[in-house]
Amino acid sequence: MQRLALTLLLLLALSALFLGLRPHASYSAQDREQAAAGASALHPAGTDALGRDRLTRVAVAALLGLTGAVSAATLTTVIAAGVGVLAALGPSFLEGPLLLLCDAFLALPWLFLLMMVRSGMPLGTAPLLSAAATFFILALLGWPACARAVHAGAARMRCADWMTQGRAGGLRTTQLMQWHVLPRLGSLLSPQFLISVPAFLMAEANLGTLGLGVTEPLPSWGSMLLELDHSAVMGGSLWIYLPVVSLVGTLVLLELLVTEEARA
Amino acid sequence: MKRAFFSPRSRLAAPLLSVCLLLVALPARSQAPGPGLAWSLGYDPETFDPAKVDDQASELVRYLTAGVLLRVNRATGAVEPSLAESWAVSPDGRTATFHLRRGLLFSDGLPLSAADVAWSIRRVLAQETAAPVAEEFLRPREVSVEAPDAATVIVRLPARLVELDHIFDEVAIEPQNRPSAAQVTAGPFRLAAYQRGQFVRLERNPHYWKHDASGAPLPYLPSLQLDIVASDEQDHLRFARGQYGLLNQPSPDYFNLLARTMPQAAHDLGPSLNTEQLWFNQAPTAPLPAYEKQWFATTAFRVAVSRAIHRADLVRLAYAGHATPAYGFISPANHAWYDPRLEAPHEDVTAARALLASAGFRRAGSGSHPVLLDPTGHPVRFSILTNAGNAPRARMATLIQQDLQALGIETTLVALDFPALMERLMHTQNYEACLLGLANVDPDPNAAMNLWLSSSPNHQWSPSEKVPATPWEKQIDVAMRAQATAPTFAERLRAVKQVQAIVAEQQPFLYLVYPNVLYGVSPALAGVQLSILQPGAVWNIDTLHWAKRKP
Amino acid sequence: MRFLRQLGRTCLLVLLVAAGTLALVRYAPGYFSDPREMDAEHAATIRAEIDARRETDSSSRAMAVRIVQGWLHGQLGTSRQYQVPVGELIRPRLGVTARLVAGGLAFGWLAAVALAVPLSMRLNSAGEAAIAAGSALLLAIPVGALATIFLLTNTGGPTLTLGLLLAARDFKFVYRLLRAQWREPHLLFARAQGMTVKQIVYHSLLRPLSPQLASLATMSFVMALSLAVPAEVLFDLPGIGQLAWGAAMNRDLPLLLAVTLLMATAVGLSGLVCPPALTLQEKLEPA
Repeated sequence: MQRLALTLLLLLALSALFLGLRPHASYSAQDREQAAAGASALHPAGTDALGRDRLTRVAVAALLGLTGAVSAATLTTVIAAGVGVLAALGPSFLEGPLLLLCDAFLALPWLFLLMMVRSGMPLGTAPLLSAAATFFILALLGWPACARAVHAGAARMRCADWMTQGRAGGLRTTQLMQWHVLPRLGSLLSPQFLISVPAFLMAEANLGTLGLGVTEPLPSWGSMLLELDHSAVMGGSLWIYLPVVSLVGTLVLLELLVTEEARA
Repeated sequence: MKRAFFSPRSRLAAPLLSVCLLLVALPARSQAPGPGLAWSLGYDPETFDPAKVDDQASELVRYLTAGVLLRVNRATGAVEPSLAESWAVSPDGRTATFHLRRGLLFSDGLPLSAADVAWSIRRVLAQETAAPVAEEFLRPREVSVEAPDAATVIVRLPARLVELDHIFDEVAIEPQNRPSAAQVTAGPFRLAAYQRGQFVRLERNPHYWKHDASGAPLPYLPSLQLDIVASDEQDHLRFARGQYGLLNQPSPDYFNLLARTMPQAAHDLGPSLNTEQLWFNQAPTAPLPAYEKQWFATTAFRVAVSRAIHRADLVRLAYAGHATPAYGFISPANHAWYDPRLEAPHEDVTAARALLASAGFRRAGSGSHPVLLDPTGHPVRFSILTNAGNAPRARMATLIQQDLQALGIETTLVALDFPALMERLMHTQNYEACLLGLANVDPDPNAAMNLWLSSSPNHQWSPSEKVPATPWEKQIDVAMRAQATAPTFAERLRAVKQVQAIVAEQQPFLYLVYPNVLYGVSPALAGVQLSILQPGAVWNIDTLHWAKRKP
Repeated sequence: MRFLRQLGRTCLLVLLVAAGTLALVRYAPGYFSDPREMDAEHAATIRAEIDARRETDSSSRAMAVRIVQGWLHGQLGTSRQYQVPVGELIRPRLGVTARLVAGGLAFGWLAAVALAVPLSMRLNSAGEAAIAAGSALLLAIPVGALATIFLLTNTGGPTLTLGLLLAARDFKFVYRLLRAQWREPHLLFARAQGMTVKQIVYHSLLRPLSPQLASLATMSFVMALSLAVPAEVLFDLPGIGQLAWGAAMNRDLPLLLAVTLLMATAVGLSGLVCPPALTLQEKLEPA
């Protein structure tokens, strides 16, 4: 099952790569006479409101979005695991301050930090760099809630038999972490990772209001999803649902992959 | 064993889920249109004190509630008597005399006399009131107001004022020494209830002076409900469900949806007075490299960029056809001031390239990705700043981005939220180009004085110039001052046309489109005379009524 | 004693968050500007207001002292947008948001647990894939689109939107936690012994997991608070979320401070309701 999911994901990525980079395909070229058109030989999935080829845009957005969101989700999960485990199993004087930091992080209006980051970056920053910076900041801000849950899970292990046994057996803390603690926290970390992927995609699109994220003419997966917020777009071409369908497919495959991994 | 685990699932899950669903699946309330009229306001009015109004929501409430001496007819533009039965302005333009109607009453039933009128005007003029409308009197402290008898009011001014009578359309008459924040009024409605963030409810003033031809008291509608609704989706949906009688300026996408589903309710009145424009930062204090400032100060560069922009595409793709290409600051809807002889240059990339070449710019590279180099060899690339959350504007910016690629100009688009944008535009001047719209409520060009005077902080492309930076900016200063003081309309028009000609030639603002005026009006609502002027569909609120309920 | 410690911690948290919010908002771009500055007609008045603010707010330390002094006198300050006391703005909206969040959480958790408990017993089922697809769909659809669907079909309200979104997230965690738990040797043994489902679920499943579930509850409480913002904006519900969004967009520091402090207090106090992991663990397994 895991192998199948991995194969399908790779196939999806390869086809996105092929569709995005195929000759004469451009995610930014505006075919203004064919705006908001349905499927045709020239545009197999139709065009968007400005006449850009939807298939190419979805493919490039999927590549960009997946790379950004999956990397950010991985980073945020790693930070959550690190902080949670450190608070639970590290030196006891760290536990209180780390948990307080988590709570403070949860309540602060980080929107303004993002605004500051934007104002610190030159206006002419390349769209790709702006997107990378956005995903990185999202990863740095997304960990505290999960870190709390990881802490609760890891604290439960402090007095587990296998932990005592491992210690008595002479295992170093890093070995204990690697072989016993982290695999057992998989049940908390894998959903955190899976939830973060679409959440970061959407957050990236919403951050467009602050001048961050993927900017035109680069296609943003999140922005394509946010287009569905308005009933005014419904009733048009069914191809507008292509980004949602591809995201759901990707998420399911990722889930199967991560679940299988956790199980293994 | 497995089966034993199956059965509890249905025992647990099904009832729990159904209880949850029952608990929270709250069906949205639907409501048939009542005898009153409801529509939405985008945000809360900042004040109900008619003297302190300086935002559109408060202005609407003032329009619907305040009794005024004179009213500008939004359909014809003519000034009509309201609380004043007649008025006269002296030949030198410095004295206005108003004669009130007989038997005027406030909404609480107490009489309205010249003393109330004089008190209300004096209150607006007083420094401690800080009334924004006082600025229109230019030297408010030197204006005197007298009430020689119960029905006459005389206003004396230090100097002639352009369109003096229009100012009295904004001065609400309140009971002397009893300002009530719209609860006691002499207009068609009075404030009945207000819940912040939810609604403003107005009810009919039973003592309103106006009657229809048959002698029936006006207004016909017993109440108005203005819901504070920020979401376009909600606004559109409530209109489609008949909960609202009006839909003000929906976005082009929603308007098209309305035109498809309720064609008889969708009204496109053509170009508004508002403009959408792109401009380059020419402020000498801007933290930009000197060569960039040089591009933006070059007329040929600005005109070439303007000629490369396909305005027809902006209209068709960014506004779904509900806008009009713009080439000047006065909209063709502003018949009195628009100069139809001004050239409306069609986009011409070849001409734009020639213009750039004449200014020393040259193209490097070939094929689909040419690069424009300035005379010093720097590649021409800049960012276009705009505000986030305005879909047509974002689409225009993307279309312009591709249009400029044809000249070899690379652009980056940046959308910021309004305060962050304002900081760059008004304080740090840290931007290269900006795409924004300006709302023009008043058709008189005098209202845009602060935009054109080079010394003004609102002179966007180069704010607060100590002396005009260029000869043409000096010419604009002179012409704008001339139109403000000229005694006749013809002289004013001449000055305004001169400004239009200079702006068309120099293009400090690259005008892009005039967004069209769009309305949704319930087919059951009768008496509606749509206007492009504020307050649009409700300017004749006292005669609006439900067709089937006509009294 | 624990109660007092937790209360002290909450106070410290509130102070930390207040200092952080003050710094973030004060140094955010646009703090000293106003959208009305573009309105050429009334710009002069607005500029005078901004100059006055620049004078009073130039030092963030003086600002902090002023704010704390205000709190000591029981005043939360005056909203910059609305020019009314912040308390007056927040009080009538508290109930609306509290009901929305409580309803959403109740629905989300009931649905998540009701689905996760029976499903987690069946490993490798086809239902698992279906559920994965369902929750992926809920995670992939933006809140706005879900709200639009409910608005158009006239079926759900903001509580259902919030509840469904929370359910999709919570289910993932609860399901995985439970499934890992089912594989514990003592549970396999209990199942083999033929213990009733009720006994197993209560004694061997939910009770040992309660610290983690409590942490998850705090997490989804925070998630509910942040999801309440779009839900209230989209459904036009006059709650704190709607107010907070407007305050952020208008750099309304007093209002934002009040809202973030409410949030900090809620997060801090949620620790009181959900006991910390170890204490509960020790209570459950004293040996």
